[in-house]
Amino acid sequence: MIPFQFVTAFLLICMGIYAFLYKRNLIKLILALDIIDSGIHLLLISLGYRLENGVLPTAPIYTGYETLKGTPMVGPIPQALVLTSIVIGVCVLALAMALTINAYRHYGSLDINKLRRLRG
Amino acid sequence: MKNDMGLIVKTMARATIPLIGIFGAYVVSHGHLTPGGGFQGGATIAGAGILFLVAFGLNEAKKRYDKNIYSALEGLGGLAFLGAAMLGLSVAFFYNILWKDKIAFAGQPGTLLSAGYLPIMNLAVGLKVFTGLVSAMMAIALFRRWKK
Amino acid sequence: MNRTLGALALLFILGVLLIVANPQYGLKFGLGGSEWQKYRYTDQYYIEHGIEEVGGTNIVTDIVFDYRGYDTLGEATVLFTAIAGAVALLRPWRRDEDEE
Repeated sequence: MIPFQFVTAFLLICMGIYAFLYKRNLIKLILALDIIDSGIHLLLISLGYRLENGVLPTAPIYTGYETLKGTPMVGPIPQALVLTSIVIGVCVLALAMALTINAYRHYGSLDINKLRRLRG
Repeated sequence: MKNDMGLIVKTMARATIPLIGIFGAYVVSHGHLTPGGGFQGGATIAGAGILFLVAFGLNEAKKRYDKNIYSALEGLGGLAFLGAAMLGLSVAFFYNILWKDKIAFAGQPGTLLSAGYLPIMNLAVGLKVFTGLVSAMMAIALFRRWKK
Repeated sequence: MNRTLGALALLFILGVLLIVANPQYGLKFGLGGSEWQKYRYTDQYYIEHGIEEVGGTNIVTDIVFDYRGYDTLGEATVLFTAIAGAVALLRPWRRDEDEE
């Protein structure tokens, strides 16, 4: 059977792509970008899981309570790269919102079928 | 017209904003021991700032917001991050010279003053993220150029 | 009509992705044992030698700030550029009085 983490990630990506293609409000397009980001991050993190025979892994932190030198740990590299990607997603969202506010001021509506005139 | 929320929200905000600030400072400064670090703690403290803006209205927030200081602090955070990376330039660019030659921040692994330049970088990145997010939020709230 | 064709095409792409994720001949979920040593030796190196080379017990912060610190420098630059661009777009501008 396919693990449920991959199914959820692919569903999120497909729903985000559908909303990005067929909706007309600008704010909904920006939210669709955020949903696609969330799907990709879930896919990347769930690829780092590790299953020794019978022992459940823990987070990659040496807390001193239950992690001695032999307990299996989840891979830490995908988590470090997804951390960077989350911050970049927030930056793209902030810039897109600033552009949307300026577009609403110029055209008076948020419908992308009406934003067609390229005037100075 | 007053643009703040009701009495219940203002009282709860007065109680929880300092607690969020203290928790965010704990997450930032213990970044090398527990889950957390610079980016996560900075976003938490920015949550406290945005709660102040939402609960008390724009007029109260405009009295305490000085855009030159926030802009200077953001640049200072970026420069501190770059300066801490250049300390070991005699060997390599991101070389952890404070831990390998035992100059400062060199204790037992697991205590607060350990791990070389990691606490310095955590504080610098936390400051940068907090000031950046609060600046962007105030810029959106102070927008006045609506066409009549 | 267009909307139904688009939904069917996306369902087809979803089906192809689910076939790619089949555990027998596709993406493997939960490696362990000897396959972990063969494919993920970098993770194993960071977990074993993280404390004595860097000194922090949080391996993820270790990787983000010391082993791969160059990517964090790039991310700090992107954060600064995005916030500067957003604040600069939302400022009062002198041409507004001419237009009104």
